[in-house]
Amino acid sequence: MKRNILLYIGAIVVGIYFLFPLYVLVLLAFNSPKYTILKLYPSLLLQAPTLNNLIVALQGTAFIDPFIKSLETATLVGLITIALAVPAGYGLSRIPGRIAYPILVLLLVTNMMPGIVIGIPIAVDFIKLGLYETVIGLALAQTLITLPLATFIMQGTFSAIPSDLEYQARIDGADLFHRLFSVLIPLAAPGIVASFLISWMFSWDEFTYAILLMPYHSTLPVTIYIDVTRGNLLAGIAFSLVFTIPVIVLSYALQKYLKGEYLAGGLKG
Amino acid sequence: MKLNTSFFLILPAVIYVLAFAFYPTAEAIYLSFKDPHGGFTLFYYKELFSTFDATGAIINTVIVTIGALALQFIIGLIVALILTREFFGRRTLLTIVLIPMGIATVVAAVTFKFIFETSGGYANSILHSLFGISVNWYQNSLMSLLTVIISDSWKNTPIITLILLSGMMSIPEELYHAAAIDGAGPVRRFFYITLPNLRKFIGISLILRGVQEFNIFALPLILIGYHPPLLTTLIYNLYQTTFPEVGLALAGATVLIAFILVFVGIILILSGR
Repeated sequence: MKRNILLYIGAIVVGIYFLFPLYVLVLLAFNSPKYTILKLYPSLLLQAPTLNNLIVALQGTAFIDPFIKSLETATLVGLITIALAVPAGYGLSRIPGRIAYPILVLLLVTNMMPGIVIGIPIAVDFIKLGLYETVIGLALAQTLITLPLATFIMQGTFSAIPSDLEYQARIDGADLFHRLFSVLIPLAAPGIVASFLISWMFSWDEFTYAILLMPYHSTLPVTIYIDVTRGNLLAGIAFSLVFTIPVIVLSYALQKYLKGEYLAGGLKG
Repeated sequence: MKLNTSFFLILPAVIYVLAFAFYPTAEAIYLSFKDPHGGFTLFYYKELFSTFDATGAIINTVIVTIGALALQFIIGLIVALILTREFFGRRTLLTIVLIPMGIATVVAAVTFKFIFETSGGYANSILHSLFGISVNWYQNSLMSLLTVIISDSWKNTPIITLILLSGMMSIPEELYHAAAIDGAGPVRRFFYITLPNLRKFIGISLILRGVQEFNIFALPLILIGYHPPLLTTLIYNLYQTTFPEVGLALAGATVLIAFILVFVGIILILSGR
């Protein structure tokens, strides 16, 4: 009995620890500023709930411009990732493991390289190529973060599709193009959707490449950073809150697709 | 023929990675040794260590890496131990524990900036109402680094918890039963069964988080700016102030790569693989 009480105390402390910063964000966003940033010891309770902070911050172009930039970049990252990861995942699932795994490891190793190291030479090259400060350039760089995981998921997805299905289509006279689009891709749809959504979320949250390659009219994370460091605090808080909502919605949607088999499929063969 | 088609399909992804990850890395290292006239030089490194106190930045980076890893590890282990028990509300707690994974680093950093603010900060608000004291969280370098360590641990404990939890789930129940019959208490069971069997999982999470810890950038930039500098914020500061002359920043970048390689090597040796 005594140990159970200890367990619950532990669980409650852990719960508070992980929830507290979110609670602070909500207080900052919905409490009147005179109880939050203007006070020496801000109130720990929601004293004067108001939507005014959000309304003021979200008006005009200060929010909508970076929001659209983020939206464009994230969608483009999703598309580029799919365009590269779907064929690569299919190819990797159809060659012997001893050749496929070194290639997968090569892809995963790129995730260990610091964005700040890779981003600086890329910035220099992008200026020469005219890709600096463009959505396409930023999306091309951010795909580095998303491609390894997406390829891994797609390889698992295609490995889980029985090759008998593909042979039958082949016997029926379907060439690679038809096999891909009428047999394989419909069956792999959940994996493709999951890869797209994960890529979209990674790009949405990404900061390092964004600030290196698009420092002036940037995406939301960079805008939040600039607002907060220049003292435009309420805008930074409001943007942070609105910025988080799509991630929560998508995470919820993703749970449907990420049941584990797409990630594990490739390891079983 | 079939094998050829497969390679043809993999090729775009491989070319992309070579062009956007390996080529820039090689370029960064090469350019850091190249003077404007094309010859070999160590000028950027001398400048980096004499004028810009790269040594200090390296020490700060190591402090943050070790501090954050230790804190994440201790909290992650405790949380995983709680979550291996069956109790009412376990699923709710698991959901709460995973929340930080869904919060962008920038948002976490902004929130912690308001928590550790000296005037108008929530940490001080709690300390003041409980003990009547307030702390200047940025009074010296070490305290500033501590705020980075705490914030980073909040954001990244969930992934460690998940890895350790899956490791604990894989330990056979019989081991614990046998140890209990032999008279081992919970503490000894933890040190003689749980920890040794977790070795591999601890190695994985240390590599995964350790490398990211060296690369930690958005969080310190937002929380403490350039003072005290970490390797990444120093590199960014140099990049910003000297752009498009990037030699100095790239010398810093090369130092960072070297540190990551050494770190991965040490962990690989320690975890015995």
